[in-house]
Amino acid sequence: MNTEKVISGFFFILAMTINFGFVYGDPSNLQYHSAYELFAAIVINLIATVLKLGDKTQLGSVLLATSLVADIQLIASATVWAFAIYLTKEGMNLESTVAVVSLSAGAFIANIVSVLLFIGDTLKSKR
Amino acid sequence: MESSNTIWIIIRRMRIPFLVIIITFSISILGLTLIPGIDDNGHTYHMSFFDAFYFVSYMASTIGFGEAPYSFSYPQRIWVSACIYLTVIGWFYGIGAIVALVQDKRLAREIDIARFRKKIKNLKEPFTIILGYNNITHPIIDWLNKEGIRVVVVDKSVEKIDTLELENFIPEVPALSADVTTPQTLKLAGIHKKNCQALVSLFDDDIKNTKIALLGRLLNKRIKLVIKSTTKTQSEHLHNLGVRYIEDPFLFVSDRIYLALTAPSLWLLEMWIFGHILKVRNREHLPQGRYIICGYGRMGHALEYALKKANIKYSYIDIKSTDYKEEKQSAVFGDEEDFKSLLESGVKEASAIIAATKDDLINLTILATAKKINPEIYTIGRENTVDDLSIFKAARINRVYILEQILAEFTYLFIARPLAYKFINLLHKKDEYWGSEVVDKMHNLLGENPIHFEITINEESAYALSRELKKGRKIPLSTLYRSRSDRKETMPLLVLLIKKSNGDIEAMPSSSFALEDKMSLLIASNEESKSDLEYIINNYYELEYVLGEKL
Repeated sequence: MNTEKVISGFFFILAMTINFGFVYGDPSNLQYHSAYELFAAIVINLIATVLKLGDKTQLGSVLLATSLVADIQLIASATVWAFAIYLTKEGMNLESTVAVVSLSAGAFIANIVSVLLFIGDTLKSKR
Repeated sequence: MESSNTIWIIIRRMRIPFLVIIITFSISILGLTLIPGIDDNGHTYHMSFFDAFYFVSYMASTIGFGEAPYSFSYPQRIWVSACIYLTVIGWFYGIGAIVALVQDKRLAREIDIARFRKKIKNLKEPFTIILGYNNITHPIIDWLNKEGIRVVVVDKSVEKIDTLELENFIPEVPALSADVTTPQTLKLAGIHKKNCQALVSLFDDDIKNTKIALLGRLLNKRIKLVIKSTTKTQSEHLHNLGVRYIEDPFLFVSDRIYLALTAPSLWLLEMWIFGHILKVRNREHLPQGRYIICGYGRMGHALEYALKKANIKYSYIDIKSTDYKEEKQSAVFGDEEDFKSLLESGVKEASAIIAATKDDLINLTILATAKKINPEIYTIGRENTVDDLSIFKAARINRVYILEQILAEFTYLFIARPLAYKFINLLHKKDEYWGSEVVDKMHNLLGENPIHFEITINEESAYALSRELKKGRKIPLSTLYRSRSDRKETMPLLVLLIKKSNGDIEAMPSSSFALEDKMSLLIASNEESKSDLEYIINNYYELEYVLGEKL
């Protein structure tokens, strides 16, 4: 057993599952989507990204790329949320709600790709 | 590919600091959003993530704008006091570690190498790789730059590369500090590139030079190798390797002394190529009597060979500079014993003395002592490094051979002025009669201070002439002598050497010599007729005028 693999695998999969938890539910209703979940998704994704740093292989680069995509999408989602609350007069409306959820849904796809690659690599290795 | 590994290792090492920052920040932010606060009107509220992120960002970096959006309640303050220690320490550790990694020496070196590689990649002009930056190579770089040949320098020492960068050579000289004896370094310096013309290695260590010569030969068969060698066996080795140009400073000096003794005109021509005026100064006449050689090392042997060949009587004093210094604990020649050995070698009757040891101070004191005993004696000194130039000048020695300078001059000539180099080689095969004729001719035409330059007949440097020759027109050499203000007059100009496109050499060609495209010419002239000639060969109207066929 490789501790490093366990830790990185844990965070990759956790990033995906938490991301899913936030996205799951009616995209037009903000009550289904907790801000805490988005916060957790961002933090876990950032940690996953850092764990992917410094892998020289081709696979490592692709993994890092997927993670960066997820980070950008999630941070954009949080930014839209903050903008809608603090910079518009009406607060959250339907458009911004859907934008927040769909942006993190994009991040979710990136996380799926990342986990698939990770699993594929694990299966490929002979041990 | 170990080079790029360093970057990966450094990025990997950044993981922990990044993780520390992310985790400490997220814990603090989460806590702040969970703990209830009280706003201005006394209502309970929860901080939003944005407020918390904002507050933690300026708290962790110790900017500290105060409590926002409202004054904190006591539960909040308790949490914040814990967070301060958590995040501030995390922040300083994380940022400190990242800054340290960015400043990592190995990373800086990787960046240097990457920059160097890029510069080499962007070199489009022909260039020369010079290994080692020192008194010898510094003037070579200057001269080559003036000729439009780019230079790449590699030296082992970082300080030397730093001083080179301060020199502000124009155009820029890409430089790297690296071990010059590894193939990786030579590859980095662009030895594989098509426009790499030459590799110069003039280290004091012969074995190092041979290793570099071998590497250079294996990595690129096409380039010129300029390799210093100070022993015969070494030179033979190099010759077997196919090194076309082997520089033995002692051989250069010995050849020069031989020439000066037997054929002063040829000697003068050689010196003129190197920038001497075209006149032998009085003090430059070598006397013909008996010579004394002090120092019987590599240089001493080379001198002995020259004197023997010139039929000059000589005697020698065997002084080894290192042994001498060890024995006498001083680098000053001239105690009683030294006096005696000088007298024994016949310094009173000798007409010249050559100080040829490896130590400049010993050489100087030998000559001074000899002069004391015999004020009439002609003094010849070996100067090992250019640094001692001013002392040698002040010592009023009749003739000084500066080995470093001689090496630099020959290297430059070989790389940048191939025809002048061929001309010098030719001089060593001619006799005094030929030489004096050439010198007389040049004196009559050009006076005592002519310049020399090289021209290749091609579209780039002789547009009109090259075009006309390609059309099959017959143009004799005499055309080039005609003045562009009056074609019946001749201008002061003398073609010394012509190299045909097949590599054949024609020295002192007659005026009826038929020019061909792709020929190169070595010409002696003055500044004015040089620019006139350039007009004529580049401009159709000027060329037609001097040809005088159409008007």
